[in-house]
Amino acid sequence: MSAKQFGDYIIRVDSIGKTFDNGVVALKNFSTNIRRSEVVVLIGPSGSGKSTFLRCLNGLEEIDTGSIIVDGILLDDNKKNRLEIRKEVGMVFQHFNLFPHLSVLKNITLAQMLVRKKSKGEAEDEAMQLLQKVNIAEKANVFPSQLSGGQQQRVAIARALAMKPKVMMFDEATSALDPEMIGEVLEVMKNLANEGMTMVVVTHEMGFAKEVSDWVIFMEDGMKVEEGTADHFFSDPKMDRTKLFLSQIL
Amino acid sequence: MYKKKVPLKKSDLIFGALFLIAGIAVYYRVEIALNYNWNWEKIPQFLYRFDDDSGKWVSNVLMWGLFNTIRLSIFGTLLAILLGTIMGICRSSKIVFLRLISGTYVETMRNLPPLVIIFIVYFFIGNHLLPYSSIGDALQGKDNFLVSLVTFCLAPPEHLTTFLSALFTLAIFEGAYITEIVRSGIQSINRGQWEAAHSLGMTKYQQMRYIILPQAFQRILPPLAGQFISLIKDSSIVSVISIPELSFRANELMTGTLLTMEIWITVTIMYLLLTLPCSLAIQKLEDRMAQGLR
Repeated sequence: MSAKQFGDYIIRVDSIGKTFDNGVVALKNFSTNIRRSEVVVLIGPSGSGKSTFLRCLNGLEEIDTGSIIVDGILLDDNKKNRLEIRKEVGMVFQHFNLFPHLSVLKNITLAQMLVRKKSKGEAEDEAMQLLQKVNIAEKANVFPSQLSGGQQQRVAIARALAMKPKVMMFDEATSALDPEMIGEVLEVMKNLANEGMTMVVVTHEMGFAKEVSDWVIFMEDGMKVEEGTADHFFSDPKMDRTKLFLSQIL
Repeated sequence: MYKKKVPLKKSDLIFGALFLIAGIAVYYRVEIALNYNWNWEKIPQFLYRFDDDSGKWVSNVLMWGLFNTIRLSIFGTLLAILLGTIMGICRSSKIVFLRLISGTYVETMRNLPPLVIIFIVYFFIGNHLLPYSSIGDALQGKDNFLVSLVTFCLAPPEHLTTFLSALFTLAIFEGAYITEIVRSGIQSINRGQWEAAHSLGMTKYQQMRYIILPQAFQRILPPLAGQFISLIKDSSIVSVISIPELSFRANELMTGTLLTMEIWITVTIMYLLLTLPCSLAIQKLEDRMAQGLR
């Protein structure tokens, strides 16, 4: 991955904090910067704040302190800014969250037409291209409930890509899948990374992290414990906590 | 569908015998003890009668009443769904003010006897609001397509104001129940659906309009249809404000002819003819949804 060229910082996260209404502290003074075309993998035990971090990046959760800047736009109370950021940041969920009342094709075209104001024809062309890219074009007119988990997740990726996002976030995208389907989704994610998409990935797939990521962040209790390039991080972790975690899951 | 054969048990025979005895008792009371003079042959003319002047069969009071009941039910349900959807959305809103309004509305309507609501809304809307709108006046005297359309769908212009106030009264009353149905439908949709739509950059309105409401309505179709049946039944309440729907006509007719039993049995059958098919349709619908067919 050393040949990869990174651009400027597209995401700047400065000491953000988040406490849920029930008093659980999800993020504490968390900072990180992500460059264009960089693939950042967040790992850590459950409840460490990885998913919350992703959800803060596109405004699904409000941060209490600190600041988030995405592609030069400050994520603040300004509705326009928030909408702009949501358009630029695509998200893939653990449970796919496809729209069950719409066909696969409509799942992908709806937001293009509503948000990007594309015509139906344009949106459908784009959708078919993306479906080909995720190897599922033959299922365009099928409803999500008729697809396997892996297929659904690939459609979900296509749906997010249709918005032409500058950043793609994956929130444990393979955790809800049967083992034999994980591969096909990871394959799509790898291709995406190779095309130079900026990606923030929360995953438990250490193989994927090792192979694809440019930067790995290990989190616990809402804080960054350790970070580094994939080579460094997996072969030579510094902190005891990281070593313990890696020994448990590898 | 899978159906299991149920063997006849001893208790079934006992219950059957009890039913039979009860049936005989009722028959005895009606036929012998009551000494009621049945006059069924007089009833059909109140449904349809032969008009000597025009030489055609024309509908009569009971059918007029039935038509009014159908009008009230259909348009009342449509209005109630409109109101209930708006209030249901308010009810699940994040804005406290909207929740307060819709909450007050629902709680008031659900905790008052329908009759009281009918009077309050009728005397307020019917006597103080609608006359100013003068919808009926504008139409009166004109003989065109619009008038016949209004007459066919709602009521003749001279009765339009009364009819509309009854319609609104029913809609406001049933709307409260539909509000709760819609709210439960909206809240039954997985949070992930909102989040997916949110992350695709849709506005709150778009999320509601294109993602949440279509799914919610799919789910609440059976209870909504049930509410339609409720409204058919509840429409008889507006007879107290002299809307000539089925119950009102029956009551009027009874006073005039004293054919008490015949008229009310006829009316019972007429109501059942309206509600039972709906009821069966709902069961079909629920079966299909249970099987997960789309």
